[in-house]
Amino acid sequence: MADEATILGQLKQAVMDGDEDAAVAAANEAVATGVDPQKAIMEGLAAGMAEMGRLYEEEECYVPELMVSSEALYAGLAVLQPLVAASGKAAKKGTAVIGAVQGDIHDIGKNLVKMMLEVSGIEVVDLGRDVEMESFIAAVKDANADLLCMSALMTTTIIAIKDYMPEFKAKLPGVKIMIGGAPLNQHLADEWGADGYGENAMEAARVAVRLLGA
Amino acid sequence: MQCDQMTSQERWDALIAHEPVDRVPCLQFILGHTAVVNGKPIAKIYDDAAESLACQKNAMALYGHDGLIMHGWANAGGAEFGGDIEFPYRKYTGAPMMKKSPVQSEDDAWKLAVPDDILTVGTMPVALEFSRLQYESGMTVTVQVGSPLTWAGSVCGEERLMIWIMKKPELVHHVLRVITDFIKKKADHWIDTFGAERLMAFDLCIETNKLYSPKHFEAFGFPYLKEIHDHMTARGTAIFLSHICGEQNKNLPLWSQLSYGKRGMVSVGKEVSIAKAREMFPGIIVMGNVDPITVQEGTPEQVRELSRECIEDGKGHPGGFALMTGCEVPPQAPPVNVDQMVKACREFGRY
Ligand code: B12
Repeated sequence: MADEATILGQLKQAVMDGDEDAAVAAANEAVATGVDPQKAIMEGLAAGMAEMGRLYEEEECYVPELMVSSEALYAGLAVLQPLVAASGKAAKKGTAVIGAVQGDIHDIGKNLVKMMLEVSGIEVVDLGRDVEMESFIAAVKDANADLLCMSALMTTTIIAIKDYMPEFKAKLPGVKIMIGGAPLNQHLADEWGADGYGENAMEAARVAVRLLGA
Repeated sequence: MQCDQMTSQERWDALIAHEPVDRVPCLQFILGHTAVVNGKPIAKIYDDAAESLACQKNAMALYGHDGLIMHGWANAGGAEFGGDIEFPYRKYTGAPMMKKSPVQSEDDAWKLAVPDDILTVGTMPVALEFSRLQYESGMTVTVQVGSPLTWAGSVCGEERLMIWIMKKPELVHHVLRVITDFIKKKADHWIDTFGAERLMAFDLCIETNKLYSPKHFEAFGFPYLKEIHDHMTARGTAIFLSHICGEQNKNLPLWSQLSYGKRGMVSVGKEVSIAKAREMFPGIIVMGNVDPITVQEGTPEQVRELSRECIEDGKGHPGGFALMTGCEVPPQAPPVNVDQMVKACREFGRY
């Protein structure tokens, strides 16, 4: 039987290869050999995705590769995550609502952020793209969410975030707000009163975990 | 400030004839913004041929830029194969978008076929009407012809397409085959109706290296682009313009191998330097590359300065040079900023 380090390595490699079958096989082996599922997710699957993220930044891989890696990651996650929940050890870190704001159909980056939040143990309600302010508010209330994440990729749509902000503050007290997308930056996030900003999906997950105090 | 020695029309004609111009022309991708300055909904630029042409002409008279007048957008192609498109009437929307792609499954993709009558599907009637109005008013007639890979994203949904690129390349080639055949049929109709000598074909191409690798571009982007460019060039198309959107430095060697009609034009984003574009496209018109975000968010002084830099970098290009934003002029850009680009051509672009 393979040892823990080998299995973690296999999980990581399966994600990097975008190989769903291998990810499921390695996840099952992790379960069979009693590897801590939380560890298998973070040091196996998520580590593979982190490495892909790094390769993307260095232009060693591109979005189609990220997409198939993300499929493999989700396949492995489907095996492992129920066990984490069942063990009750690593309690859910919180619930987030995510969407691309009204007028914006760019959702490739948003979906990568969603994935990294999910691997970090955050439950995510995805509203998709072109999401109106009222839908965000309703979804946060419905899901009793702790974190609201908005993505905008255009100068025309980042204005929506700015416009929504006062309404969110008034109607969603205590809910943290995180924003991202290429034209945004920390400065604008501060100016508009967002609690967090992330330049890429990895950072988004780190910031989210921090904001949730988990 | 010095006065122009040519009218916009004379300058455009000279540029296209590869003859001397009085100053660097300012050719803009300026669509939604022309509706805003006319006090109309942005959607009119896309769903109403007569309003669109009027708005674009009025904006040209207002700012004094030398073109372009066209009908097209980035998220194109899906509506023609039966997808749901939404025109930008709602707040914050700035361009047409696909609400639902026509292809949702592998089965849908294999069944994709060129419709018998392409002139009645999706947004074709308004595109044709726009070109007819251009023709009747004696203008250059424009027609959007891709790019096939960009259209495939609209037809299949970008993420699905990217996963298939990795896992089902033959399926993607089928989709691209059908789209390319559609576009060639469209091109033929425009050539037959308006005459190749009056035509400016253009493609808007988001095959950036932020999404696709140069290898993906080589396998899935370039061959189909080449087929369309070759086809239209062989049929005598007067002008071919490719908008090479975003970071595409690694794709440029392939872009430079395409045929561009009798007179070629490429427009580049701020990610591709004017110097690099000049080197790659020695014989054709280079256009670019003032950062659109600065045009929306910056001050007139900043736009003026960026324009000056572009003009100085591009002015001496033997193939011809025109000042342009790196992508569409943002619909909500302050008019004083847009105005600066023409002013900069007058001030710094004199030959
Ligand atoms: C792909 C693309 C499209 C596709 C979108 C497909 C899709 N399903 O997403 C299509 C073809 C449909 C499209 C259409 C248009 N596009 Co477009 N598009 C792009 C492109 C090429 C890439 C964007 C992308 O996916 N990048 C890759 C991902 C991984 O990166 P990312 O999105 O930045 O996301 C990362 C971070 O930003 C961050 N992040 C993202 N969201 C969030 C959220 C949170 C909470 C956090 C913390 C972090 C975070 O993490 C992500 C992962 O690391 C860019 C150019 C570019 N190079 O950026 C233009 C670009 C964004 N588009 C642009 C424009 C103008 C348009 C159109 C208006 C064009 C037109 N006139 O028709 C239409 C608009 C449609 C609409 N209504 O939204 C402009 C916007 C300019 C501006 N004014 O600001 C750009 C910048 C191109 C340019 N050079 O000008 N586009």
